[in-house]
Amino acid sequence: MEIVLKHLTKVFPGNPKKNIRDTTAVDNLNIKIKDGSLVGLLGPSGCGKSTTLYMIAGLKQPTDGEIWFGDEDVTNLAPEKRGIGLVFQNYALYPHMTVYDNVKFPLTNLNVVKNKTIQKVVDNNLIINLLENNLDEILNLIKSSLFKGKYSKSASARRIVFKYHVVTSLAEKIFKFGLQYSENPKELASSIVNKLKDENSQILDKFDKKGVRYNKKFEILDETGNPVKEKRHLTADEIDALVQETSRLVQINDYLERKPAELSGGQQQRVAIARALVKKPRVLLLDEPLSNLDARLRLQTREEIKRIQLNTGITTIFVTHDQEEAMSICDDIVVMSLGKEMQRNHPQEVYNNPNCLFVAKFLGTPPINVFPAHVEGTELFVGQDKLLANKALSGKKEVIVGIRPEGFIYNPKGEMEFDIKSIITQGRDMTILASHTSNPENQIKMIIDSSIQIPNGKVRFSIKSTKLFVFDKETEERIYLD
Amino acid sequence: MESKNNWKAWLYLAPVIILLAVFTFFPIINTFYVSFLKNYDYMRGTSDGFTFDNYLLVLTPVLKSGPGTMFEEVMMTALPNTMLITIITVPLSIIISLLIAIGLNSIKALKKVFQTIFFLPYVTNAIAVGMVFSVIFDANTGIFNAIFNTPLHTWIAPAFGVQGSTVNYWSALFALSFYIIWHSLPYKILIFLGGLQNIDKQYYEAAQIDAAPKWKTTLKVTVPLLSPQILYTLITSFIGAFKEYNSVIGLFGSEGGKFDKTTGPSSMKTMVYFIYEQIGKNQVQYACAAAVFLFLIIMVFTVIQFRVSKKRVHY
Repeated sequence: MEIVLKHLTKVFPGNPKKNIRDTTAVDNLNIKIKDGSLVGLLGPSGCGKSTTLYMIAGLKQPTDGEIWFGDEDVTNLAPEKRGIGLVFQNYALYPHMTVYDNVKFPLTNLNVVKNKTIQKVVDNNLIINLLENNLDEILNLIKSSLFKGKYSKSASARRIVFKYHVVTSLAEKIFKFGLQYSENPKELASSIVNKLKDENSQILDKFDKKGVRYNKKFEILDETGNPVKEKRHLTADEIDALVQETSRLVQINDYLERKPAELSGGQQQRVAIARALVKKPRVLLLDEPLSNLDARLRLQTREEIKRIQLNTGITTIFVTHDQEEAMSICDDIVVMSLGKEMQRNHPQEVYNNPNCLFVAKFLGTPPINVFPAHVEGTELFVGQDKLLANKALSGKKEVIVGIRPEGFIYNPKGEMEFDIKSIITQGRDMTILASHTSNPENQIKMIIDSSIQIPNGKVRFSIKSTKLFVFDKETEERIYLD
Repeated sequence: MESKNNWKAWLYLAPVIILLAVFTFFPIINTFYVSFLKNYDYMRGTSDGFTFDNYLLVLTPVLKSGPGTMFEEVMMTALPNTMLITIITVPLSIIISLLIAIGLNSIKALKKVFQTIFFLPYVTNAIAVGMVFSVIFDANTGIFNAIFNTPLHTWIAPAFGVQGSTVNYWSALFALSFYIIWHSLPYKILIFLGGLQNIDKQYYEAAQIDAAPKWKTTLKVTVPLLSPQILYTLITSFIGAFKEYNSVIGLFGSEGGKFDKTTGPSSMKTMVYFIYEQIGKNQVQYACAAAVFLFLIIMVFTVIQFRVSKKRVHY
């Protein structure tokens, strides 16, 4: 589902009596999000990214502007009718329900239109198929559930469900046949199969006698030969199948019977995603989903989110203040500041080509080094050091130069001279803390390959031109060099 | 460190412990003791030795039976009255106060005003309210009969100027329950409102996104998340209902009412009412026996509630 935001604006009214001014959280935002892409809304706290997300979800009403899902205007649609899945920052899992019930909850409210089927026959055929082809494995699964001298029904069912993608009630039915207690399970299985086949033919006979027609999938047909549709709630089995399928996708099968409080942060997070995904929403919205996780789990979970998003192909919007997070998994990022879109593109492109000082400063760890500089004619100076000459520069004015930490090359004949303060070696790279001779207060961070020997004291570096950006001092807009 | 400063902790606790010991622990133990004494004289503190007769007289027809005996007063009147009051008022008052609290929590305008209005009954004296209710339920001039167009229906006392007018027991129980529920609402509403305001709004947003209808959100999200508060009010109001006394005096006067015997117990006397009555008659040992009996009933009910709640309350 393609999402389009047109002139989206949100103003939180102030209180003139208390001298609180109106706050514009989101200011005339125009974004187009491609179908099936993962887009990150990135910005410092208070930049309006969460407000934007909640407006897309429908939990906040925009002051102005429109929200389109595909060719449907959803601006004034209630959140429950938008078909979205939302993962809250603190997950908002219902603490009194088990994981299974949490994931199940959205499904119990759904109305679906489905083909009317002779479900009993379909189920029986599934069992017949399993017993005829996979009897030995099923017996092994049930027997492996032996606990304190008893076979566990729920454990067996869980295993059968996991392996054969059937619903829980069907797996429990297989357990209840008692194959595991039988001396000769093969014989018992074949007699059960015969019984089920008898039952099927009886049921179908009844339908035949009534003159009801059905197709090979046992869907009931009307006079014209089309399947009869019915509008209804999901049955317990259908709900179970969806819950099992989703929990398999996010790998929470093992904790379905637990309460959220008994899960780790990462597991809770996956449950929250499962709850958002289970009703197959058109759009998945994630509000700072990783902020409650520890560093290791955060890495793991963001890979997970990417994997789930790729598997389902669902359009996903992801809000974060962590630029590393956004850069690592998003197809596109939108950098926001004070309710405005600053730049939108592929993460690497935004990093390589920031269009303003804010974006340049916001992306990258360690952050970009900023130098006050001036232009004389076509030449660019930082202090006494002449960095470069470029035709795009002219006149005499103050500018700001940004250089990425990885943009420095050790070179005794380089353009800039630095005073080295300390060198921190971190395995592959080393971080050099230094200051430029023109401005000793301003601390500079450089990242250089740790195999290079750097002398102490005053050292000259040359600058990689792709890592150097020039910004206007007043507008902070990028001045593009030729 | 711990053992050194221990005396300080005891010093701080001392006033409460001493007061509790004098006015709570000693009376409890003494009540047990007195309930086994024969012909106890509370002025002199003398008795004729130990006996089980007090319990036999109050709880069984073994020693004395027939109308007017203590056994009949307790087992035929006081205990059924108390039980009925408890069974009727506790669940109803909790459900009604829960609904009001949810309603109050979801409105914005005039919320504080309504909160105050709903809290007013709590600060009014029970006897005074009882007297007002007895006017409301008056058969001749009561506003209740006027509103529901049931002229001369007797709720509390026989109608004035009507020959052979009697009061139906169930009418009286209705009036009493109505009054008890009304009077107990504010405290519960206050507790539920506090609990509701502590529930994270995100649960409701999540439920809304999941397209859960309002009633379902209330039943599946609000009520379970409010279950600690519900358990608390359930237990305190159970205990309160078992100890109901003020309301009977307030509504039916010092006689506890006089009803048509064919419709049920002849008065609305409760267990605590009986206990006070015995003290007034200088029969403290019977009062003690009845008090111990009531104590055991309350204890059993409370234990059952805690047991049941373990599965259903989510902290």
